[in-house]
Amino acid sequence: MLTIDAEAYRSPWRTVHPAVKGVLFGGLLVCALVLPAWPGAALAGAVALAFGLGPARVPPRRLLRTAAAPLAFIATGAVALLVTVGGPEAPVAWDPQGAGRAAEIVGRASAALTCQLLFAFTTPLAEVLPRLTRIGLPPALVEVVALIYRMLFVALDTARRIGSAQAGRLGYANRRNQVRSLGALGAALFVRSYDRAARLQRGLECRGYTGALTVLVDQAPLRAAPVAAAAVPAVLVAAVTLSRGVWT
Amino acid sequence: MHIAEGFLPPVHAAAWTAAAAPFVVHGVASLTRAVRADPDAKLLLGASGAFCFVLSALKIPSVTGSCSHPTGVGLGAVLFRPPVMAALGTITLLFQALLLAHGGLTTLGANVFSMAVVGPWVGYAAYRAVRALTARMSESASLGAGVFAAAFAASLSTYTVTSLQLALAFPDAAGGVGGAFVKFASIFSITQVPLSVIEGLVTVVIVRLLTTVGRDQLLRLGVLRGSGPAQPATSGEAV
Repeated sequence: MLTIDAEAYRSPWRTVHPAVKGVLFGGLLVCALVLPAWPGAALAGAVALAFGLGPARVPPRRLLRTAAAPLAFIATGAVALLVTVGGPEAPVAWDPQGAGRAAEIVGRASAALTCQLLFAFTTPLAEVLPRLTRIGLPPALVEVVALIYRMLFVALDTARRIGSAQAGRLGYANRRNQVRSLGALGAALFVRSYDRAARLQRGLECRGYTGALTVLVDQAPLRAAPVAAAAVPAVLVAAVTLSRGVWT
Repeated sequence: MHIAEGFLPPVHAAAWTAAAAPFVVHGVASLTRAVRADPDAKLLLGASGAFCFVLSALKIPSVTGSCSHPTGVGLGAVLFRPPVMAALGTITLLFQALLLAHGGLTTLGANVFSMAVVGPWVGYAAYRAVRALTARMSESASLGAGVFAAAFAASLSTYTVTSLQLALAFPDAAGGVGGAFVKFASIFSITQVPLSVIEGLVTVVIVRLLTTVGRDQLLRLGVLRGSGPAQPATSGEAV
């Protein structure tokens, strides 16, 4: 399983309705994006982390490891803001406003990323997908999305097994072998994915498949009180940030 | 190259979502029609989507010594056609954001525009152009050149559009949008240009092998010319 999905299934907040977690982390994400970066984004990120590492018991190391790749993108993108090009004095020069601008973007994006990751770390995707029809998406599309979700774990496992077998035969010993092995992996994966889909089709037809793939979803009732309570942290962050702006 | 969550200002994120929306709606309509016309297509679409996701999650060697991920949109466009790729690419990007933390939810529209709209269309245009130019060559050589052009052009155009999106969001103090584009494109080109070449080579190997082990699927998808000239498959036929 993928780290995020595995942690979402282990999360003590797994049973909480996805809409409640969506309002909590989504509200804080909006705060991180639209409020002044200082202290708005910092507060939003800190509050989200407090909920995530506290009651939701998200493992901090796994959260950090998962965040490494997007944080690298944020850092690389921010580096570009430190310099200015095409100025009258030099083709490339230090931008005196750049550091502040880069810090603002890094703070804002890091806080928003934290909110997104904490939602993903506490909510299995399988519990969100069947509910997508309620927001107006076509049922046929939602079924395809759910099928892709189910099939991708088998495909990932297949790719991992093929990759291990290739590595055992020195398939990744040099660059030439790497390209050949990756190509062979992709081709084998394509053929096996189609073969598996065909076999799944036959299996479903034998069980009276009519074209609808219905699955059981935990019918967690959505109550107004938890949703309203989930909105409180975002409202407080917005109030504190805006009042600070008024008083300073 | 995915734009991380929160990196784009909200107005830009909304504008790119609006720009990508017509293509995605068209792709979703094609996909829904295909499923309604042929319920069997649902499972093949599921398999195709899972294949696209895993393809983009593979680690390929980069010149800088690190590993990076291919976009997979060039191969996807050749196999499934750009309209279907708009829908499959959007689903793949959503899963990448929620399962791998590659990209974000507010930046989904911008990533969809570069990776599921521009990349597949540019890659497919390059593929058709090269196939037409090499029509007199052997099928194997023409197909190899076509898919290399598709994968290379799709990957490079994706990275170029992403650099443009970042430049529009963060124009340079002296050089404006043009200067900012040069900055972002220069920084990301260190990994992305070699990556596009490697992705092109890997894609050629994939399609070469598929011509022997997956010939039936390639004929069904309209990738191989078969006994007659290639017939571009409709969105429904593509899956």
